[in-house]
Amino acid sequence: MAAAPRRGIKPKIKPPKKHGPDVSVEETWSTLSQNIKEIFNHNAANLSFEENHRYAYNLVLYKNGEILYRGMKRIVAENLDKLAKEQIVSAFPTTSTGDLMQRSQENELLLKALKNVWDDHTSNMTKLGQILKYMDRMYTRDAAVPGTWEAGLELFLKHIICFPIKDHLLTAILNQIQYEREGYTINRSAVKGCVDVLLSLDAGDNNRTVYQQDLEPMLLRESEAFYKTYGDTLLESCDTPEYLSKVESRFESEESRTHLYLSRKSAEPLLRILQDHLLTNHLDAVIAMPNSGLDTLFDLDKYEDLARLYRLFRMVPDGIPCLKKKLKASIARRGRDINQASTGLDAGVGGNEAKDNDAEARRALVKGKGRAIASQTLTTALKWVQDALDLKDKMDSVWMKSFDSDPKIQATMIEAFETFINSNDKCSEFISLFIDDHLKRGLKGKTDAEVDVVLEKSITIFRYLTEKDVFERYYKNHLAKRLLHARSVSDDAERGMLAKLKIECGYQFTQKLEGMFHDIKISTDNMQSYREHLAKSSMSPTIDISVIVMTSTFWPTSHSSSPCNLPQQLLDTVKPFERFYYSRHSGRRLSWQLSLGNVDVRVAFKSKQHDLNVATFAVVILLLFEDLKDDDFLTYEEIQQATSIEHADLQRQLQSLACAKYKVLKKHPPGRDVQTSDSFSFNSDFAAPLQKIKISTVSSKVESGEELKETRDRIDEERRHQTEACIVRIMKDRKHMSHNDLINEVTRLLASRFQPNPLIIKKRIEGLIERDYLERGEDRKSYNYLA
Amino acid sequence: NSSVEADPEDWVRIISNDGYTFLLRRKVAKMSGTIRASLDETGGFAEAETKTYRSQERGIVVQKMIEYMSFKAHYSTVGPQEEIPVNDIAERLPLEILLELLLAAEYQDSMHVSLILYPVVLMNGFKV
Repeated sequence: MAAAPRRGIKPKIKPPKKHGPDVSVEETWSTLSQNIKEIFNHNAANLSFEENHRYAYNLVLYKNGEILYRGMKRIVAENLDKLAKEQIVSAFPTTSTGDLMQRSQENELLLKALKNVWDDHTSNMTKLGQILKYMDRMYTRDAAVPGTWEAGLELFLKHIICFPIKDHLLTAILNQIQYEREGYTINRSAVKGCVDVLLSLDAGDNNRTVYQQDLEPMLLRESEAFYKTYGDTLLESCDTPEYLSKVESRFESEESRTHLYLSRKSAEPLLRILQDHLLTNHLDAVIAMPNSGLDTLFDLDKYEDLARLYRLFRMVPDGIPCLKKKLKASIARRGRDINQASTGLDAGVGGNEAKDNDAEARRALVKGKGRAIASQTLTTALKWVQDALDLKDKMDSVWMKSFDSDPKIQATMIEAFETFINSNDKCSEFISLFIDDHLKRGLKGKTDAEVDVVLEKSITIFRYLTEKDVFERYYKNHLAKRLLHARSVSDDAERGMLAKLKIECGYQFTQKLEGMFHDIKISTDNMQSYREHLAKSSMSPTIDISVIVMTSTFWPTSHSSSPCNLPQQLLDTVKPFERFYYSRHSGRRLSWQLSLGNVDVRVAFKSKQHDLNVATFAVVILLLFEDLKDDDFLTYEEIQQATSIEHADLQRQLQSLACAKYKVLKKHPPGRDVQTSDSFSFNSDFAAPLQKIKISTVSSKVESGEELKETRDRIDEERRHQTEACIVRIMKDRKHMSHNDLINEVTRLLASRFQPNPLIIKKRIEGLIERDYLERGEDRKSYNYLA
Repeated sequence: NSSVEADPEDWVRIISNDGYTFLLRRKVAKMSGTIRASLDETGGFAEAETKTYRSQERGIVVQKMIEYMSFKAHYSTVGPQEEIPVNDIAERLPLEILLELLLAAEYQDSMHVSLILYPVVLMNGFKV
């Protein structure tokens, strides 16, 4: 509230105090400067803050700020010089050569001395700043000069961080770092103290600290030189795991260094130096070291070392590509070895390239060695598949454990694996044999889960095949044999395999295979009805018959039915069934595949009777001897005429009857091979321990060169049809398409079966144009569909 | 050289130039920049050792200053909703010592006091 001035009593205003113009500037300053020096001598406790604050205040108030400011600076400078002389210069290292430890200790002392001086200085400046606060508020801004604290920093820079102290200081710091890099322990906090000082001081006017301007460049230069040499040395003296391990520890140590006592900002350039000189420049050398590089580590399952390799290589841009390249080569080499092993064993048999002039010799070889070769090549197939699966398991292990399941690496591995698998001509056949063997023997006694594991493995490797139609052909053949001879260990396993194939390749793939299963089932039911029919009718043939009716489109009947003259007894068994079947199904025709059947027959020898299981053809041959006397013989020609069996089949049957383990016929002259000049007689002296004997026909499991060529031709033909059908299907849908688009689309659609060659597709297109399915478009680069 | 900060609940002393002794809590004393600096133990001046600040002002001026500092210390802790009764404190400043208070405030590095005092001075049509 505004009151009117009270009458009579003038408000007494107290005049300003003693430190007015009465006391001279010189005196004030003299006292104050003395006190400041005392403060610098650590005697603040004896001084009054208030008093000195007021001195400073008055000086500024009465326009003597400049004297105060200049004076302050002078005192600070003098103090710094004194400290420099007493503490720092006296700590300059003296030994330039000689004992490393001693030098390190001297460095340490110097660094500590500097830090002490800094701490002293900053503490002084803080106290000074408090006292001179009014000056900082009122004088320095107007005079455009730095405040007390900033001035202090500038003076420190000028009087301490200058020649010669600065040089000694930087050298000492770098020496300590070098010393530590060589493996010795240093006092890190001493270095940190100085580094912090350098980080707090601005060097000149471009906004960089002394650290950035002076220390860091030297640091990086020396580090680069050090690591360049180090990388070379390490490469010469270490093997791959050692190298990687040491490099990794260097990375860690530099990281800790920047973290603990250098500036964080130096971390990046240092990292780059390490990457360049320890990794990028030596990637190839490290990964390819003989006896310890990637190949060896892979062999020995050194997961940890490989993981380290991955971790380090990942740091540099060239790293992973280098790793991928080497990995690909490694897998390719292993794949080649696996393929080599399989063709090596096969050298005696069909081989990969059938040469015509050798075909004759080969055929003889096949028949002569017969079963021995067959089982050998089966072993090869199984080994090949198992080796491939082992390699895949190894790859997957390493990928998961060491390469962090990196998708890019996975892609490389898959590519390499796929290449090696498909570079073996017999891959499709081998895989089919693998599955065949398991379904015939290997899965016996295994639990459902175990069975599934094996089947899953087969599918795993099946996926890599590019020519899946070739596989289909083999699988069909093998399956047919299994079904016809009832060799499957487990029906569930068969169906399981089929289901998996269906998932992989679609319904089309497994259509015919399922048809085969269906036929078997129907035939079983059929036989049941036939037996009931026979029981009801008056006819009862003396020979029991069991028939499997195959729908011809499903089954791989590769040869037209081989001829054979059935003797009357057998005809009497066969004909009733035919009649029965025709009565049930009209419009169908049965054609007997006698080459596939077998017969149980009781044969009386001199010593005892034996129950033999032989091929149908064999029994036809044996029956020729039924009415003959023991020393009568038939020539090859006679047998051939009587039975009308083809030469190839005939020779095989005679071989199994007269030249194999159980010789129920005698060959004249005796020997392993059947010649057309031979003759045969019944071997009544035959004896064997077992009563029931199975005489199987000699066959070669793996195709001969000729058979291979035949299969190949058939496959090519089928592919031609498939390609054409595909082209027509696409064009019918699209009506018009460019050449490139058509090629791409066809390739895409056929990929699940095989990889068509674009040139072949082109030929097919031209073929279709000729046959008026398509026509060329106006621009000559596209096609139109002709309805 | 104590590394622990002094307890704000500590009692410190301000002695005026005419011998009056005032006891106040450190946290109130800290409202003045100068007094805070002088009592600061890291500075290590005599005041910090003895926890005593000798002012060049008269007792009556010191008293008003402390009154203001209490006022400020109290209201510096309240929430933003509460209204600070500035007029209250302004009314309690006697005209006679106003100039001295002003100068003291300047010296004490308590600008906010000046902000209160200037309008009061002007209001009263004071001519120095």
